[in-house]
Amino acid sequence: MGQPDRDPHGLVDPAEVAFYGNLFISIAEEMGVSLGRTAYSPNIKERRDFSCGLFDGDGQLIAQAMHIPVHLGAMPRSVDAALGAFADLGPGDVVMLNDPFAGGTHLPDITLVSRVFVPGEDTPIAALASRAHHADVGGMSPGSMPSAREIVQEGFRIPPVRLRRSGRVDEDILSLLLANTRTPEERGGDLRAQLAAHETGARRVVEAAERYGADELDRRMGDIVAHGERLMRAVIQRIPDGRYEFEDCLDGDGVSDGPVTVRCAVDIEGDGAVVDFAGTDSERPGGINAVAAVTLSAVYYCFACLLMTPAEEETPPDVPINGGCFQPIEVRMPERSVVSAGPPRSVAGGNVETSQRIVDVVLGALSQALPGVVPAASQGTMNNVSIGGWDHRHDRPFTYYETLGGGMGARPDRPGLDAVQVHMTNTLNTPVEAMEFAYPLRVRRYEIIDGSGGPGLHRGGCGLRRELETLGSCQVALLTERRKTRPYGLAGGGPGAPGRNRVITDGAERDVAAKCSVELGPGDGLIVETPGGGGHGTPTASKEARDPCRGSDSTDD
Amino acid sequence: MLIGCDTGGTFTDLVLVHEGSVWTHKLSSTPDDFSRAVLEGVRALRGDGETRGRPTLVHSTTVATNALLERRGARVALITTDGFQDVLAIGRQSRPDLYNLKVMRPEPLVPRERCHGVRERVSCDGEVLQGLTDGEIQRVLDAIEAQDVEAIAISLLFSFLAPQHEERIATAAASRGHTVSRSSDILPEFREYERASTTAANAYVAPVMARYLGHLAHASTNDGVTGVRVVQSNGGSAPAEHAGRHAVTTLLSGPAAGVMGALAVARQALGARPKLITFDMGGTSTDVSLIDGDFALTAESEVGGVPVRVPMIDIHTVGAGGGSIAHIDAGGALRVGPRSSGAMPGPACYGHGGTEPTVTDANLLLGRLSPQHFLGGRMTLAPAAAERAVAGLGDRLSLSAREAAEAALRIVNSNMERAIRVISVERGHDPREFTLFSFGGAGGLHACDLADALRCPRVIVPRHPGVLSAWGCVTSDVVEDSSRTVMLRAEAQSAATLERAFGELTDAARRNLATAGFEPGDQRIDLSADLRYVGQSFELNVPWKGDIEPTVRAFHEAHRRRYGHADERSAAEIVTVRVRATGVTIPVALEPIEEGSGSAPTPTAGSGGLRVYDRAALRAGHWIEGAALIVEDYSTTLVPTGWGLEVDPWGSLIVTRTAS
Repeated sequence: MGQPDRDPHGLVDPAEVAFYGNLFISIAEEMGVSLGRTAYSPNIKERRDFSCGLFDGDGQLIAQAMHIPVHLGAMPRSVDAALGAFADLGPGDVVMLNDPFAGGTHLPDITLVSRVFVPGEDTPIAALASRAHHADVGGMSPGSMPSAREIVQEGFRIPPVRLRRSGRVDEDILSLLLANTRTPEERGGDLRAQLAAHETGARRVVEAAERYGADELDRRMGDIVAHGERLMRAVIQRIPDGRYEFEDCLDGDGVSDGPVTVRCAVDIEGDGAVVDFAGTDSERPGGINAVAAVTLSAVYYCFACLLMTPAEEETPPDVPINGGCFQPIEVRMPERSVVSAGPPRSVAGGNVETSQRIVDVVLGALSQALPGVVPAASQGTMNNVSIGGWDHRHDRPFTYYETLGGGMGARPDRPGLDAVQVHMTNTLNTPVEAMEFAYPLRVRRYEIIDGSGGPGLHRGGCGLRRELETLGSCQVALLTERRKTRPYGLAGGGPGAPGRNRVITDGAERDVAAKCSVELGPGDGLIVETPGGGGHGTPTASKEARDPCRGSDSTDD
Repeated sequence: MLIGCDTGGTFTDLVLVHEGSVWTHKLSSTPDDFSRAVLEGVRALRGDGETRGRPTLVHSTTVATNALLERRGARVALITTDGFQDVLAIGRQSRPDLYNLKVMRPEPLVPRERCHGVRERVSCDGEVLQGLTDGEIQRVLDAIEAQDVEAIAISLLFSFLAPQHEERIATAAASRGHTVSRSSDILPEFREYERASTTAANAYVAPVMARYLGHLAHASTNDGVTGVRVVQSNGGSAPAEHAGRHAVTTLLSGPAAGVMGALAVARQALGARPKLITFDMGGTSTDVSLIDGDFALTAESEVGGVPVRVPMIDIHTVGAGGGSIAHIDAGGALRVGPRSSGAMPGPACYGHGGTEPTVTDANLLLGRLSPQHFLGGRMTLAPAAAERAVAGLGDRLSLSAREAAEAALRIVNSNMERAIRVISVERGHDPREFTLFSFGGAGGLHACDLADALRCPRVIVPRHPGVLSAWGCVTSDVVEDSSRTVMLRAEAQSAATLERAFGELTDAARRNLATAGFEPGDQRIDLSADLRYVGQSFELNVPWKGDIEPTVRAFHEAHRRRYGHADERSAAEIVTVRVRATGVTIPVALEPIEEGSGSAPTPTAGSGGLRVYDRAALRAGHWIEGAALIVEDYSTTLVPTGWGLEVDPWGSLIVTRTAS
């Protein structure tokens, strides 16, 4: 055990951390419930694509209601950007932003930031942030995640601005935003839901300050952050010191030729880590560029996994994630690279695709240090499928968006899961029956692809096949990865099978690119096959490895 | 004459109600064959009852639950539409833990090799796109028979709109001697994964349940029992024969009976529509549930990681109980749970070799438990062992044993407070308007502290807390829920289809109630519908107002109440229609207890300086000022300083705050 008196990050009162941890996380969770309950759009209500966070007066993350990994490192950046722009942010003020180059990640994610004051006091006792994925913020195509070359094509960009001043919403700013989306009513409703979440959070913080005292809360927040830091340092301390390097690539950016390399080196020294992406390719014309906030989130996700994966067969520890957890981790990103893009680059795919590859390289590096813990590569893509067109049944336009699961990488002690969302996303699928009721589409097959998981002592998870029939004319946009490169295996395990995209037009089947847009007509088809996960360990003649129904054929078959 | 019987893992509790009088009995469960303790209890009670009347037995049982949780159900094959055999394996594509690299999904109840596709297809309009041939039925049944299965589940796409393919397979399978569950019977609602999962779960547990109930019904006739009903998760009971075939509706039988018992007791104490938070704290976990006049149902439940979408009482469970272990985490902070000492070795003070400090040890050390009165005197606690365990923890925190015990209790209380906030604050309810209803062995020690944290004004500890679930059994009506997805625009031309759907469901439900012996005058039919705005992917259930237009108005209103806004101009759709059929039983009530004369009996002095009262000596109207401890056979209630306790006319303890 640590020696509190020797430790510069000692806890004032270790017996109170859990109690106040419960208090703070329940404030963040109640903000989240308020947002989810009053939001308008299904993307927020049903897919729960939002997060809420409680920060201390200086903007340090105290508690985050955990919904979306890609928001982990991004929320503190939003708070920094908002408080940096408005150092005098006062009671009743709320900052709004979505600029990926100033605290955002990609344009559909709109973040609000506010401060909490005890009535009559001038010093803020806390800050609050809420981030929600809005279904449309303008741009070239519905959904604001087009295959674009510049950010201005992707949608309406909001630098930090004050949406509310002293309790009054700035209608000028709101109407400017609403005039630039395809669904202004829904946007207005969702923003009001976010504002309501901030009121809920502020009320709970003030109540807590009245009950326990503002100074006491401040002290306890300090303890929570110190505790988070100690937890993460304990995790890193167990990683052998050394430099661990890894490199992998994206199939391409959909515009220019050739693969895109992502490289990282993880330096472990004592209880601290440096993750350096030197050697990563420069930013690209196509929209796979990730901004720094996305990269931070992906790195933090990897270390959060180390923190929350139980050593033995136990329930995962109920560990509170806070800003302290990430103090021991320094992230270096070469400027204007695909992991730290700048304006005017397009960035929509950085959030959903490149973030997965960043996880692949960071975990790949860590696997050398922790061979008994880290899994082989998972499918490494979200398989974004957007379909838009005219619904002749209801005489109206429709847009449909889904992401597809695939193979999870094999673990050192067990196989990867089949047909599952991996790493940076965990949203639910759309049921076949729900989809056919709602859109002029029919699902022909939805099944696990036997043999697609990488071979190994433990096989990688298998990908899935989703075959659609289009009942009318429509445009299909695919934003997918791992159609050429394959998810790597570890410790002698083989790679997972790559994914594959095909269309059927006039009865003839043909392959289409990983990132593309195609027109389909009535009776045409789309077949998306998602990648399998990598295998782990040298394949043997063991039953599992040979079982053709479950994994890839092992090499000795 | 009615006998209520609740079977738990440790105890089997019974109550007999006859002509206004109530008898209770408690005995150890017989896990090798749960019916043995049930029958023994029935015999004991009928002797007690000084009557040779022929009782109906109303039973809450964990037979189906255990079969599912322990994966000891039947060997099932699943038949789906060809191309969708992996429906159970794919699920909703999500993983249960975001950050756990070792994450596993619960094993599906039917492995992939026993999932079979048949070539057929129905469209979302209910139109048959591809017919099902007899040859195809033969083929799939032949393949299944080669796999030696005990039950078959059938769940085809859109079968709730056109059940004929499922029916033909079921008929053919039954004629070949198979036990069949088909989705168009078990859960005729859209969303193919949840429907297939629920149907497979029924096929999985029904044979086990039918066997158990068949045996119980047969054996109990020798003891004069005329009929057996089983408590379902939906807060009603069902005839044994129905419960055997629809066993998936009984997965929360035990916890539901507890909530029903709480509601019945609270209705006598507080009035017809009490606002309660039920709090059932056991050894390893705590169940909480919110009652706003009546219990809330949910169709979003999972049991053992398996989605089961039949209506169930909304009960939330948290891993905190008397056995939760206090420990210091890698960051140096004190935490409590979720790890538990379990039944063996149990808390250190049980003296069975446990050395880690638990919540029970902390309570004992602070004098909140009487070492001689634990489990009705069946066990004597060892204070020295508790002291050793807690003091060891305190040393590492530079705290005294007492301080460490207090800190541990504060933490476990805040864990439970979080669970209660989930079902109250997070669902739009203010706990300050609710009474905390405490039952379960460990609850009474924590209830007032929790009520303080949540600012609940009042705590109730019922009379007979040890047999509350059995009491819930005898208060239950017979209830059958049925439903069907129709997916219609909420407009006039949908009326005929709606009427037909409601009519068919109602007719079937009335037939079942008549078979169960309910005259039309004792039958109640409640119609409701799930609505949403076009484009939404979640529904709200509202009572059917007799026509489409007023129902849509009720939907707008419900949407505004729940979500803060409504959109009268948006088109609504009627997704699913529901019928709740109730066979109203003769009401039973607790009889008043003896009125106390004068002040409460003289207490004894407890080890922690608390006054200790024997609950058996308390009478109606007695008032006890905190701090005091009320001990009885299977639970202990702490009345802290600033709280006072009154015994109500029916023997329940009503604890209220005396200081603000």
